[in-house]
Amino acid sequence: MKITIRGEEIILSEKRALYWEREKALVIADVHLGKAAHFRQFGIPVPSSLLAADLERLTSLIAEFQPKQLIVVGDMFHHQNHNTDIETFANWRHSFNGLKIVLVQGNHDRLKPLQYMHMDIELYKPNLSLHPFQFVHEYTGPNENYFSISGHIHPGVLLRGKAKQAIKLPCFAVNENQLVLPAFSLFTGLDVGYCIEECDFYAIGEGTVFKV
Amino acid sequence: MQIERTKGYKEIIAWMKKSGNKPFDFQKETWQRYNEGYSGIVNAPTGYGKTFSVFLAIIIQHLNEEKKSRKKGLKLLWITPLRSLAKDIARAMQTALSDLDIDWKVGVRNGDTPVAERQRQQKQMPEILLTTPETLHLLLGQKNHGIYFDQLLCVAVDEWHELIGSKRGVMTELAVSRLKGLRQGLSVWGISATIGNIEEALEVLIPGDIKKTLVFTKEKKKTNIISILPDEIELLPWAGHLGLKMAHTLIPIIEKSNTTLIFTNTRGQSEVWYQVLLNIHPDLAGLIALHHGSIDFELRNWIEDALHDGILKVVICTSSLDLGVDFKPVDTVIQIGSPKGVARFLQRAGRSGHSPYETSNIYFLPTNSLELVEAAALKEAEKRLLIENRVPMLMAFDVLIQYLVTLAVGDGFDDKIIFEEVKKTFAFSEINEEEWKWVMRFITVGGETLGAYEEFNKVSLVDGLWKVTSRKIAMNHRMNIGAIVGAIMIKVKFMSGGYIGMVEEYFASRLNPGDSFTLGGHILEFVMIKEMTVLVRKSKSKKAISPSWNGGRMPLSANLSAVLREKFTEAAYGNSTDVELIKLKPLFEKQQKLSHLPKENELLIEKINTKEGHHLFVYPFEGRLVHEVLASLVAYRLSCISPISFSIAMNDYGFELLSDQPIDITDENVKTILSGEHLIADIQKSINAGEMAKRKFRDIAIIAGLIFQGFKGQKQSNRNIQASAGIFFNVFEQFDNNSLLLRQAYDEVFYQQLEEPRLAAALERIKHSNIVIKELEVFTPFSFPIKVDSLRDNITSEKLETRIQKMKSDMLKV
Repeated sequence: MKITIRGEEIILSEKRALYWEREKALVIADVHLGKAAHFRQFGIPVPSSLLAADLERLTSLIAEFQPKQLIVVGDMFHHQNHNTDIETFANWRHSFNGLKIVLVQGNHDRLKPLQYMHMDIELYKPNLSLHPFQFVHEYTGPNENYFSISGHIHPGVLLRGKAKQAIKLPCFAVNENQLVLPAFSLFTGLDVGYCIEECDFYAIGEGTVFKV
Repeated sequence: MQIERTKGYKEIIAWMKKSGNKPFDFQKETWQRYNEGYSGIVNAPTGYGKTFSVFLAIIIQHLNEEKKSRKKGLKLLWITPLRSLAKDIARAMQTALSDLDIDWKVGVRNGDTPVAERQRQQKQMPEILLTTPETLHLLLGQKNHGIYFDQLLCVAVDEWHELIGSKRGVMTELAVSRLKGLRQGLSVWGISATIGNIEEALEVLIPGDIKKTLVFTKEKKKTNIISILPDEIELLPWAGHLGLKMAHTLIPIIEKSNTTLIFTNTRGQSEVWYQVLLNIHPDLAGLIALHHGSIDFELRNWIEDALHDGILKVVICTSSLDLGVDFKPVDTVIQIGSPKGVARFLQRAGRSGHSPYETSNIYFLPTNSLELVEAAALKEAEKRLLIENRVPMLMAFDVLIQYLVTLAVGDGFDDKIIFEEVKKTFAFSEINEEEWKWVMRFITVGGETLGAYEEFNKVSLVDGLWKVTSRKIAMNHRMNIGAIVGAIMIKVKFMSGGYIGMVEEYFASRLNPGDSFTLGGHILEFVMIKEMTVLVRKSKSKKAISPSWNGGRMPLSANLSAVLREKFTEAAYGNSTDVELIKLKPLFEKQQKLSHLPKENELLIEKINTKEGHHLFVYPFEGRLVHEVLASLVAYRLSCISPISFSIAMNDYGFELLSDQPIDITDENVKTILSGEHLIADIQKSINAGEMAKRKFRDIAIIAGLIFQGFKGQKQSNRNIQASAGIFFNVFEQFDNNSLLLRQAYDEVFYQQLEEPRLAAALERIKHSNIVIKELEVFTPFSFPIKVDSLRDNITSEKLETRIQKMKSDMLKV
């Protein structure tokens, strides 16, 4: 689905990402790499096929949009420990050497600087400004000069049907100051209790994005 | 050898004689059987010394032993479902022991036991230890626990009827299987109130081919059931309305009684009744208290002590006081609204008039006039002792997983030995090799898919035994042992400090600043939620909402529904002598005149057309859970004939389908629509089983150790390894759908939530019934309560009242 923000064309993808045409930038949030393996190390069985599914989706996004850069607005890595999931990601990363990866650091991103360097990831803190947008992990309030693009919340939207049926879907939440991306990883929850003033929801269901 | 001839028996008799007592026959029988090496279950009403049947059996054995050969160590392990029970039982046992001059110690071990006491026990176990299923599992999760049990003679499981139908019952079965493995020839004795399937209860606790017996009492508890009849019968009854109007009738009962317990079915109702009674009779201030699961633990303890001491005149409570120690001063019980089951009703009645030969007095206050029929049914069921079954849980893989990790946290386990033990339990007698292998893989390598669980670390093989090696994993596991999973509750505190109680997070999330609600008898004004705590101040408002705690609505039990149908049949023939049914005559006549009064072999269907649309009412009298599924099933099958959509409502007597189109149900097709064929397939299509299973999965995920519950109200310290049950459910469905935990979630939905066997039985009954279809223009006494119940979900209570009045006057004009 295409929307226009501050004169810029933005594509909201059902693969939990947005694409900014002018800068050829693919933007995602809350990837939480290494989370499943971290759980496994503590005796909670979470299959690594989860990571495979996330990476597959990322690969197909790259094939679809041919971006020059991938901007991750925080929480790319779940935990500071190195584990097999992160190794798998590092291998994946090196098969896309032409792609610039930019990480705006989130509260979870606590790898050592050397590790980011090894995976060829550029680090920004606390935000990255590319006019008219400011990429940040957690929204900090309205800003006269920039429109904020963030993550952190893992936004979901609750759709109610007849006979007390209800379904929660991941979504993009957009108002005149900001856009919040859905969490990229499948191994994340959805929050429907957040509050963003006067906002539109673009929900992700069965292979499409639709305005609620 | 006859027990009467033994030295120990004679000593016990002499001791009892001193206080003017002599043993009941069932106690003697228990002692005799125990002496002969039997295991068994003792079935006796409360107040008759059940405790002393099993406890003294061991004491007699001890007294009969040569002094020289006596050894120190744990002899009797006593498992009770409630911590609060342990203290009083321990006191009674210790008194008996010191009277008999036996130098045994009685210890209590549960979550509240201080560390110093635990350490003392570790060094030297008391001869008798009282504990809970959870704490017993914790003991099995300790290193070198074998030495605790090397002198053990008997495991007693108190209140077995409370445990058997739950996962805590499965925990008990597993723990007993392990203790038997540690101590060959161990006796196992259960103590149980009367339940419908007592023979099965014996098999569950004591499976396999060993000497076992049931010991029954001849003594029967007398129960006096009194219905409080309204002055006037409302021809159009609706739930919840009538009760409060009759509140004043309780005052004389309370005044002439010593101490009264008032049972309500939900915490919300108990809050309302507390306010109402205080309003109509302010003299009760200081003599009335409120006791339910969301009230501060300390306060509840205080109330229980005050009950013992006879300080309180009235306590309004929920199932929170169903179980537990006896309060001597209580001589009257009042039940408000239908108790929904015979066993629960009698148990509550038994809270008054505790000692043998005393009569239990229970008053029944109906909350709508139709509930009077339930009162008549309860009396009948009491007469015929139609007590419900407690269905044991089977194949609870989550509990098995937790148990195996518990053993791995302790000394480690040999999977061949443990498999044999587990297979011998009732709960897992059907487990096959494949399922066992799956469980072992789940805790050792993570799961089925090869390579998908790299780095998984939980249980591994060390020197031939399966063990947990990570200290952090072991610690997390120990903190999460148990099978009680609560809704997420958050604390309520005054702004100025001072803890009041807990409310469900769901309720709290719907409060706005300035809203008033009641809790623990206070009217409170919501200020804000801060750090997982609801902050409030005292409210000046007179009106307040009562918190709704989910799960308050119990369905009618199968036994009670069966008797209820009989009572309606009696009413239809007009030959009943029950006061309740006589009182209800005008209502039955109205129903008969407008529509039809169904007999036992009939099923009534009412088609009522109003401005609102086309209603279909069906009255199987099977309880709301069965009706919920049945309604969806009928809706689905009707929609297969032609496209149509419905809204659904139900109560314990029947259900309603409402549509904007005419509903095509006729004498010809009705049997097909209500047939039991393709039942499971049709249920799966008609209800959202996936969503229901997902909700069930929360408990399973916690018990199986996927989610850490932590301590109540405390902040999670394991944030990095927390994910919600919903996420796990989706992940397994998508990536590992052979998971037995998923299968368990669906099984729990089908067999417990949807009660598939009961539904099938209901459809079988309907198959052989005459179906009476009536087409009407107005609501009937039967349909009205369902209609009103369905309005309640959408409309605020004030508007509801006026709307109902309007509907009533419309109808009475006809």
